[in-house]
Amino acid sequence: MATLLRPWVVARSGISLVLRRRWLRTMLMLAWLPIVFPAFGLFAFEYSSTEPDLQRVIVRMAAGPLNQPELASQIIDDHDAARHQVWSTLILAFFRYPQLFAMVILIGLIAPMLISYDLRTKAYLMYFSRPLSPSQYILGKSAVIWFLLSMIATLPAFLLYLLGVLLSPDFSVVTQTWDIPLRILAASAVLMIPTTSLAVAYSSLTVESRYATFAWFTTWAMGFVAYQVLTSASAVMASGSMRPPRGRRGWENINFDFDRWRLLSPYHTLGKVQSWVFGLDTSAASVFPAMLVLVAVTAISFWVVRRRIIARLSV
Amino acid sequence: MTKERLSTIVEIESVSKRYGAIDALRNVSLRIPSGVTGLLGPNGSGKSTLIKSLLGLLRVQSGQGRVLDYRWPLDARLIRDHIGYLPEDDCYVAGLLGIESVTLMARLSGLSGREGLRRSHEMMDYCGFGEERYREVESYSTGMRQKLKFAQALVHDPPLLILDEPTTGLDPDQRLAMLHRIRHLATEHGKSVILSTHILPDVQTVCDHVVILVDGTVRVTDTLESLSRPIEPTMHLKTVGDPSELIRLIQEAGHVVRHDAETNALRFEGVDPEHAGVLWQMAASSNTAIRSFEPAVNSLEQIFMDVAAGKTLAPPSIAQGDSRADS
Repeated sequence: MATLLRPWVVARSGISLVLRRRWLRTMLMLAWLPIVFPAFGLFAFEYSSTEPDLQRVIVRMAAGPLNQPELASQIIDDHDAARHQVWSTLILAFFRYPQLFAMVILIGLIAPMLISYDLRTKAYLMYFSRPLSPSQYILGKSAVIWFLLSMIATLPAFLLYLLGVLLSPDFSVVTQTWDIPLRILAASAVLMIPTTSLAVAYSSLTVESRYATFAWFTTWAMGFVAYQVLTSASAVMASGSMRPPRGRRGWENINFDFDRWRLLSPYHTLGKVQSWVFGLDTSAASVFPAMLVLVAVTAISFWVVRRRIIARLSV
Repeated sequence: MTKERLSTIVEIESVSKRYGAIDALRNVSLRIPSGVTGLLGPNGSGKSTLIKSLLGLLRVQSGQGRVLDYRWPLDARLIRDHIGYLPEDDCYVAGLLGIESVTLMARLSGLSGREGLRRSHEMMDYCGFGEERYREVESYSTGMRQKLKFAQALVHDPPLLILDEPTTGLDPDQRLAMLHRIRHLATEHGKSVILSTHILPDVQTVCDHVVILVDGTVRVTDTLESLSRPIEPTMHLKTVGDPSELIRLIQEAGHVVRHDAETNALRFEGVDPEHAGVLWQMAASSNTAIRSFEPAVNSLEQIFMDVAAGKTLAPPSIAQGDSRADS
């Protein structure tokens, strides 16, 4: 009981501290705004069988921004059979684009303070004067971030699912989509655990939280840019012999491995695993390296934080 | 817990701790009785290492024993649950109010929210906090932070307090109040206290026992009373006027007497307080008026400096053999 309670006490104290910041409360509210788009998508899909205009909207959305032309055809051909994939795609898109960016910003602004401040003010001496282990401390501090992320990602995703159920013709759709809430939970874990571990590790490496903030944003920006540049360069080289017509290149027609540089970018690595979690990327073999990287990042980060704390106590 | 066990709060054997090539603790064996024990030693003598080792915050290379009723170092977390620790460093959780800081420690010790808050207010009252308990800790003075740490150490009502330099940063009034609280907790509430400090008058004010560490070894462990007693019973005496006739009489009686002409004080060796009547008779015979007459005590400062310099004290206060030194 006490083993569970102590990380909870650390987390609760941390949550109450960060929620005192007005800008954070504002940010949490603003992070909900993007829910409008997938919510509209669900609305359009559920009413598309009776409203041709809405059907055109959802079909265009599936073929265009969601980049799933087969799904667009399926919506027209078999509306009910397409439901699971449409809902999953919309919720994944919500996770993948607005909430992942919100997560990067939120963690970047909050996580560096969590352990840096304790190192600067030597608060760890107070924590460890009680029967708290370093692992429980790390768990408690990480739970602060998990709470905030669940507020901007998991909870809205569950509400989207609930909205889908309420908008559907009858509650029997639950039997068809019962696994989506579980996939939301799994995708949340994929989003939260490695990213929080990495951010907390950066935070433990310095007493100056701004350095940890810088390292965090640099990791994401550099990884993203590196992936885009290397992938684009490779794609251009691969398409060199095809002599495409003037105008837009047909990337989908190029036989090219988009996963080759993926592990360089945390954003794309997370996206790959989340797609697999929602059942939209069925190539398990190509997901395995990404999963391995996320597990390694989590384990190494945890080891670093624990070692840093124990080293501090030894002084 | 048996009475025998209660009488000893810490009992450790052959404890060694190394930081790389540096021996912070060398084969330390120690028994600390209940009551208030002063832990003394020069900088780098191993006091903080010993404290952190007792709390289980440091892993020692060798050694075992018992702290309170728990196996040490195996039950380190249980031990921490029953110890109130006041660290020497200025440490606080940034952003919390004073009352929240104490409540956080209470909650980490397993108290419920309501009980933790009640105890926190009680301890802050005891430590002399008023409305400032509702201010952020960053705005506290050094003295207030020291009192806050004391309240945090006490909030879960531990039987043993380990206080590392608790009077640092306190003004004279606050220092006296802090010492009074420590003594009060020991005498009225049965708490045992290990007080690590450099301020020797603090030790003389509140401690029953003294442990002196030098270079990672226990050099002295004894009661303050025993340490203060000279090896040979000695009396201090001050007279009004010329004491030469009195000195002659005492020397004729076979006692050693030293005269400090500057203060006109006499030091008689070989005379214990029970036989002080003889001196009164001699003073009457030599027609010498006595201004003050009291048993001599050893100065703790002198003992500390002698031990730190490696001088030998007489038994039983000196540690024997492998630095074991039980009182």
